[in-house]
Amino acid sequence: MLALMLAGPGCYQGGSGSGGDGDTEGGTAGEGTADATGGVPEAPEIGGVGMIGMRRLSADEYDNTLFDLLGDDTRPGGALLPEDVVDPYDNQIANQLASRTLIEALEQLATEATGRLMADSARRDQVVGCQPAGMVDEACLSSFAASFGRRALRRPLGADEVQRWVDLGVQYATEENDFYAGVGVMVRALLQDPEFVYRVEIGTPTDEPGVSRLSDFEVATRLSYLVWGTTPDDALLDRAEAGELAIPEDVRAAALEMLDDPRALDRIDRFHSMWLGYYRLPHSAELNDAMRTETRMLLEKTIVEERADWRSLFVATGTFVDDFLAQHYGLASPGSDAFTWTEYGDSGRGGLLSHGSFLSVAGKFGDTSPTQRGQLIRKRLFCQEIPPPPPSVNVDEPPPEVQSPCKIDRYNMTEIEGCAQCHQLLDPVGFGLENYDQQGRFRTTDNDLPQCVIEGEGAIEGSTFSGPAGLSDLLLEQGLLDSCIVSQIYVFAMGHEIAVDDERYVEDLVDSFAANDYRFDELVINLVGDEAFLYRREEEV
Amino acid sequence: MAIRALNRRTFLRGMGGVAVALPTLDIMLNAHGDALAGGGTLSSHFFIGFHGQALGGDGDPQTDLYRPDAFGPDYDLKLATMPLANYGDVRPDVSIVSNLRIPYNNSGPGSWNTGFHLGAFPPLLCGVSNPDDSSYCRGQTADQVVAAAIGAGTTFDSLQYQVQPSWYLTDSAPYGRDIMSYRSDGMGGVMPVPGQTSPRAAYMALFTGFVPPDPGDAAELSRELARRRSVLDLVRGNIERLMPRLGAADQTRMQRHFDEIRALEQRLAAIPPDATADCMMFADPGGDPPIGGNNSSNGGDGFDVDAGYSDEDARARVFSDLVHMAFTCDLSRSVAMLYTMAQSHMNVNSFTNIPYDQHEVGHSVASTAAVSQILAWQLDQFAYLVAKLRDTPEGTGSVLDNSALVLLYEAGHGLDPATGDENRTHSTENMIVTVAGRAGGFVSGEHIDGQGMHPVHVINSAMRAVGVDADLGEVVGTIPGLI
Repeated sequence: MLALMLAGPGCYQGGSGSGGDGDTEGGTAGEGTADATGGVPEAPEIGGVGMIGMRRLSADEYDNTLFDLLGDDTRPGGALLPEDVVDPYDNQIANQLASRTLIEALEQLATEATGRLMADSARRDQVVGCQPAGMVDEACLSSFAASFGRRALRRPLGADEVQRWVDLGVQYATEENDFYAGVGVMVRALLQDPEFVYRVEIGTPTDEPGVSRLSDFEVATRLSYLVWGTTPDDALLDRAEAGELAIPEDVRAAALEMLDDPRALDRIDRFHSMWLGYYRLPHSAELNDAMRTETRMLLEKTIVEERADWRSLFVATGTFVDDFLAQHYGLASPGSDAFTWTEYGDSGRGGLLSHGSFLSVAGKFGDTSPTQRGQLIRKRLFCQEIPPPPPSVNVDEPPPEVQSPCKIDRYNMTEIEGCAQCHQLLDPVGFGLENYDQQGRFRTTDNDLPQCVIEGEGAIEGSTFSGPAGLSDLLLEQGLLDSCIVSQIYVFAMGHEIAVDDERYVEDLVDSFAANDYRFDELVINLVGDEAFLYRREEEV
Repeated sequence: MAIRALNRRTFLRGMGGVAVALPTLDIMLNAHGDALAGGGTLSSHFFIGFHGQALGGDGDPQTDLYRPDAFGPDYDLKLATMPLANYGDVRPDVSIVSNLRIPYNNSGPGSWNTGFHLGAFPPLLCGVSNPDDSSYCRGQTADQVVAAAIGAGTTFDSLQYQVQPSWYLTDSAPYGRDIMSYRSDGMGGVMPVPGQTSPRAAYMALFTGFVPPDPGDAAELSRELARRRSVLDLVRGNIERLMPRLGAADQTRMQRHFDEIRALEQRLAAIPPDATADCMMFADPGGDPPIGGNNSSNGGDGFDVDAGYSDEDARARVFSDLVHMAFTCDLSRSVAMLYTMAQSHMNVNSFTNIPYDQHEVGHSVASTAAVSQILAWQLDQFAYLVAKLRDTPEGTGSVLDNSALVLLYEAGHGLDPATGDENRTHSTENMIVTVAGRAGGFVSGEHIDGQGMHPVHVINSAMRAVGVDADLGEVVGTIPGLI
């Protein structure tokens, strides 16, 4: 099947490789037009092209992009932009809505980022890229507009466009008798440009109504925000400009190199943290950081360094801890402030689900919640839809008080109160992790209740398990985890739920994931290397 | 000075500025000071606030520690309402309307049917029945109705502020529980209007163009305004060039972005009011408090007591100061303030010493007294705003005399129709709406019997008070004795 996909690219020979995104008014003759290809591009015969619209940069993507464009490491987006809905990913088109708050935030962010840039002459000079010969050096402004504009808008600017930016710069350099006053307003405007704020995909219409072939620059942008969570760098834009992202093999080659960049690990870490809900943790900063480091290092070891079977994340026989975290967990201290690989031994732990990061998620009522954990596991690890509770049930109420103070007895009460429909589905899953508290520490009794001994036995889909290691074994045995993670990363990559049009693409990814020994890097490469990655389908209105 | 100010406006208008409403200057008033010399009345101001808050704790037979014992003036204060005695006692300016209810089971105008936090929220905001558990309104909200009726000529036809900036949980999302304003989408439907969550951004937006006294600062401000206009002009042009190349769905998205850019341009073109003794740019509140992290521990062992809190106390003060100036300077006549989200998961530890989130105090701490500590914090914030408006002269009275303020709570305390249990937080029985101001004969300083009417009847009354003869959604009429 993979070979089929690789055989496919002959159907398009990449007129967009000559540059441009189909910017008809941009001034570069013929760029990206159908004429340059010698005809209307063909839609991929194997289908799988999903509907997609323009996507606004999430706060996280905005901050990453600002850093890459301007060297600005203040990460100001989160405080000013409207909070992204994270469910479980922060980049879903359906949740993005322009508002006054957004517009005011974009303006203020651009103004303040420009102010910081202008106050740092070394950084400023690097961004500008030329030394002005005078207060109104139009040539320098022009070279800046072309180079910075290309990076900010993720495509080359046409001559007319460059001139518009230069005119703005010249106006202010002249009025204020300051070259950098001109640069400043240009930066401010570029950071509010619709093509900066949104990842606009237009492409070229194919022979299939509603399906367009992306320009190489649009492909570069898709690739970059997926793999790095940020804007394409000059090298990637150069590839697009040289026509080296026109066929799936080229995209795969680019992605392979990009995965070696530290930003890829950042993105892998962020994806997993949103998928499993630990992107923000509720403890002290020190404990939160330690837990995040532990999980990130396991991801790095498994996915980046060893390029091992992704599923081995869940059966790792040890973990990375420093003395602080080891002591917190009650594991043998490595004798170091540095995070060091430490075998779990007979502690009963195993894999990522034993990490404090995962075990911190889905608490309620001041403790772990078997129900919430069960829901998290079924939704995120098994990719199951949980039916809504019946209308007569108040899900916010804590389990009823019964004569026994023990949690398991109180939760058993739910079976006689008409709540059984959901609780029987969820609680047995969560009870399998009850020996681990909401900070990931092992316990044998309910918090502060020595009479309430925790058995820690869980059940899901007709099988029983004990503890996170047992759950992981069961997950792998059932064989659902791999198709689940594939659908999750697809949603993350495309910014929308999986619809009928996407199914071929996703199913092929599931197959290729297995065929490539479940390597996560191969999953990413096959995702961007599918022919459908180069296309978009117009949304129905 | 007033004459000079008017001349300056005339001058600016000639420079291409857009005339907007002026703060009321004495020179503009008639001899009695209660109407404009040229005819017409003083502008009115409408405020609607919301708290994701019930009035009691689950299972606690103490219905509330809020509702005064007797109807009428000089009502008694309880644990929840004690702060009304603050700020020189705002009780004479504040009325409490109790005995309100939202009908359920599709049994009346503005009813809800299922899924309390999601289902009952929209009928409260917009008076339109909600047959399912969608948390999104199907009609316009009061701030938008008022804005359309009396907002013309102001810089901000309405303002939406949001004190709680984050949902605070990582395993769920708000989906409408963070929205309290809906306006017409021009196609027969409505669209949500999210609030501004950054006090600093709100500050900068509200005082855009206010001319500092220092001539050097004023000149720099003038240059900065010119830069902003030029930048937006270019951005808008680029959107116009891009728009025809987009697909239909993207065009709709971009149109909305474009409309907001245009609105910002118009605000930049508006001539700011001249500073008066009362209408002035107050000191920069500085950077926003950091946004608090995950609050899903809900007070558990090892819980970070600062998690899930972004110093909403400080944020609310700044927003209140901004509302005060928005009304005093007549920059806006309609404000919606989402203090806390529906089903709020904000950590209330810092002002109650209860290390739980707001929602869980009702369910898990399950004590009406504990809940009332949160209510008291909320009423202190409201009293602070009321007092500021009261203490600001306008005409022969105060800004408060020309205002109507409404404070909504998500729930009452009583029957949960879903479970049939009594004394529950998931109840729209025994609801209270607290109001303030005296615009248009709005009655202040009394405890008023809502007679089982809908909270939206209170909103309708407040809209009438500011001269807007409209009913919200399906709920028609006003509360007897409130106006």
